[in-house]
Amino acid sequence: MRHACALRSVDDPLHVNYSDKNTNREDRLATVELTNISKCFGRTAVIDGLSMSLNPNEFMVFLGPSGCGKSTLLRMIAGLETVDSGEIRIGGRRVDHLPPGERGVAMVFQHYALYPHMTIRDNMAFGLRNVGVARDEIAARVAAAARSLEIEHLLERRPGQLSGGQRQRAAIARAIVKQPQVFLFDEPLSNLDASLRVRTRVELAGLHQRLGTTMIFVTHDQVEAMTLADRIVVLNDCRIEQVGTPMDIYLRPATSFVAGFVGSPRINLLPVRIEAAAEGLARATLPDGTLVQTAVPTAALPQGDTTVGLRAEHVRIASEGAAARGTARVVERLGERTLVHVELKGGAMLVAEDAGLSTVRAGDEVGLSIDGARAHLFDAAGRGHHAAG
Amino acid sequence: MTRPALSGRVAVALVVVGAVLMLVPLLWVLALSLKSNAELMADTHSVFNGRYTLQNYADLVGDGQVFRWIANSLIVSLGMTAGVLILSSLAGYGFARLEFPGRRLLFVIVLFGLAVPEQAVIIARHQLFSWAELHNTHGALILPGLSAPFGVFLMTQYFRAIPKEIDEAALLDNASRFTIFWKLLLPLTIPAQATLGIFTFLSAWNDYWWPLISATNKEMFTLTVGIASTQMNFAQTEGLGFLMAQAVFAGLPILIVYLLFQKYIVQAVAGAAGR
Amino acid sequence: MAIDAPARARRRPAGWANALFVLPYLIVFVAMIVVPLAMGMWLSTTKSDLFGVEAQVGFANFTRLARDPIFLETVWNTFYFVLLTVPALTLIGLGLALVLNRPARWASVLRTIFFVSTVLSVTVVTLVWQLVFTPDGGLIAVAAEALGGSPVAFLNDQDLAMPAIAVTTIWWCIGLPMVLFLAALQQVPRDLYEAARLDNASRWKTLTRITLPSIRRTFLLVVIIEIILQFQLFGQPQLMTRGGPNNATRPIVLFIYETGWRQWELGYAAAAAQVLFAMILIAAMAQYFVASRKDDR
Repeated sequence: MRHACALRSVDDPLHVNYSDKNTNREDRLATVELTNISKCFGRTAVIDGLSMSLNPNEFMVFLGPSGCGKSTLLRMIAGLETVDSGEIRIGGRRVDHLPPGERGVAMVFQHYALYPHMTIRDNMAFGLRNVGVARDEIAARVAAAARSLEIEHLLERRPGQLSGGQRQRAAIARAIVKQPQVFLFDEPLSNLDASLRVRTRVELAGLHQRLGTTMIFVTHDQVEAMTLADRIVVLNDCRIEQVGTPMDIYLRPATSFVAGFVGSPRINLLPVRIEAAAEGLARATLPDGTLVQTAVPTAALPQGDTTVGLRAEHVRIASEGAAARGTARVVERLGERTLVHVELKGGAMLVAEDAGLSTVRAGDEVGLSIDGARAHLFDAAGRGHHAAG
Repeated sequence: MTRPALSGRVAVALVVVGAVLMLVPLLWVLALSLKSNAELMADTHSVFNGRYTLQNYADLVGDGQVFRWIANSLIVSLGMTAGVLILSSLAGYGFARLEFPGRRLLFVIVLFGLAVPEQAVIIARHQLFSWAELHNTHGALILPGLSAPFGVFLMTQYFRAIPKEIDEAALLDNASRFTIFWKLLLPLTIPAQATLGIFTFLSAWNDYWWPLISATNKEMFTLTVGIASTQMNFAQTEGLGFLMAQAVFAGLPILIVYLLFQKYIVQAVAGAAGR
Repeated sequence: MAIDAPARARRRPAGWANALFVLPYLIVFVAMIVVPLAMGMWLSTTKSDLFGVEAQVGFANFTRLARDPIFLETVWNTFYFVLLTVPALTLIGLGLALVLNRPARWASVLRTIFFVSTVLSVTVVTLVWQLVFTPDGGLIAVAAEALGGSPVAFLNDQDLAMPAIAVTTIWWCIGLPMVLFLAALQQVPRDLYEAARLDNASRWKTLTRITLPSIRRTFLLVVIIEIILQFQLFGQPQLMTRGGPNNATRPIVLFIYETGWRQWELGYAAAAAQVLFAMILIAAMAQYFVASRKDDR
């Protein structure tokens, strides 16, 4: 019963003997460790010497633009791509040489990959039948998963008869019945319309809390990443840019790429001149000559071209005590706040925030107050430098 | 909506006239087949009046030979269809989904086969079958048809169009390669199987040249060749009505098949030509 | 345990076993196409008959073909037949498709009628049309007599026999170009027509500026496909006229058939087959190039 090692029977003691002697499958809280993973397609390295580890029960999001290698990484964990060198361990067991079905993972695909000619029930049961799970156990697991995703009434239908959201639920249910150690999600929300995406996001978060299983979720959508993740891995160009909690990533972006990728509206990045000021903190001069006193210690800051990162919420429209002035070019009203695209003297553009009931109109001359203590600095290599602490 | 323009209505009228011209020869043959030979010999105008009879069809059935030919045609057509479906599905899956040395090159070579007309191979093929003493067998009528590259081409395209995610989901579901092929992908190709199957059946049923030279024994004639053998002396024949009954008898089944599977047949024929 | 088999998932060597899926077909392909093709080419350089190869003659068969008045006539006949049928099939097919490309029930019935003859075998088709053409009580003869004319022996007339075969062929084959054009018309994006309506284009303008340019590639493909198909003319003259009268309807394929299976000059027939193959190959290459230039509209 080699195949059965991919499955765990937590509730039913009769099935304990299906489990693999070499590893303790009763451990529901599986870690995932990647050590020195490399992968080439032809001569191009897609992943190069990458290491990371996931804690049990963690919801990890791989975030990055398309082509950054995040999907390849996920597929390597699933066993759908081979690993050229390095090790993958799930729950302490080395799996990188195992076929996908024996790794104890379940995956929800971007296009759901439901088997079109099978009913939803058969879709869910297929993987269990392949490893010889008993009939009544299959029925029980399918029923339980269907109940928890509220798709009981859809079990006898085929994927083609379901809406996008229903298919999504069916795909998740198919993953759940396998009771995997790790769930893998490959951009599962990208095919849903906006409102459904938000709803499903919330449900996924709930699902994670309910199941308490390790989950890896790949997306290019920073909002999904921020809202779902315990930790985020930001990938760019086949490299890890930063690993951290959502607020870590937002407040202390390790690189200018991370700063630019996470946060909406996009962070303002402007080239600056740096000089040391009081208490060893850097003072930056914007292209239009405006001075911004940051909280970044100069000591750690290398010489060379430097960029300041200012989030819109730290650049506010101000009538008095304005540090800088400019002309409003575009005004975007979001309801609870207003984004004003301001052209500084010399042509540099800056997005600033104002109250929801802002009176600014395009063409107006506006003053800006900049919260320099929240500014980030990025050196020539793109590395981020932040206020101490 | 605007009223259709005059030019549009003229065009439709022309097409309707064309449709009538398409049908008239068939109706003519049907009418003749229902007249007794004696009456036709006397005066073909009697088609429009006088008595109709099923005598020609009765003669045909009484002859018995035709049934032998129909049986041969059925054996050959069904055999070829089954063979083509099996070989093309296996090869299509292999070319579309599996890795093996020389896969691309082999596929290109098979595609080149599409450009080889029957005339370029038929003489040597005939010799080969002579040496192997295979002529006048059902196998000899089936075998050449199994080599048609169109089926492989069609099935390869079809397998390629199935999202790879399906295979991957199945791999994660512990399915073996064979299970994936047999339980997941093959059922998804049923529309292509239908198209290819009907097309192959039709081609086999209507095939003329190869059965003409391979099946020289009257017992082994297919229906197509059998009908041809009786019309060789068309000008001298005294059994016009009988001949026509044969034409109807041979044409009707395939027309019924056409009306039943019209969608697939049109798809198949267009697909085979536009490959 | 699977753990002991590390070679499995990692870099499995490109599997020879996988080739087993294509092997059955490849065996048939080699036996039925590759070998006969090569053997046919070899035969064409020999003097062979029913009992085997008599001598290697190099290109003698081909030079003999070039000087054989009957073969040259069959080449001419074939081209003449292609000229009679291909433009007619293409234009009629296009016309039918333009008129019948609509969802109405009557259009679907008419489409069925125009395609129906395509599924008949050549023997049934020729039987039907001999009954139309025969002066002795044929459909045309009866109709002509009713209108006061006299019956014409189409198939026995040197000038009329080939056109008669062409008419038969057009009747038989019109379904294919029609459905190819219909398929192409359905591919023309709807919004092009909507844009044209907003631009106040007349019906005629829409047809000539939008519809026809959009199916240009299909038009070319249909022409080439029909050339390839009609080049292989065989059954109709073999059954209706036996190549006569006076060789007027003898095409290349019939020449190959009769040289091979009536006179049993297999080497000579094989040479003629190679000539035909070369002609068809040129057309097939043209088809491939047109078909693969998909983006170029």
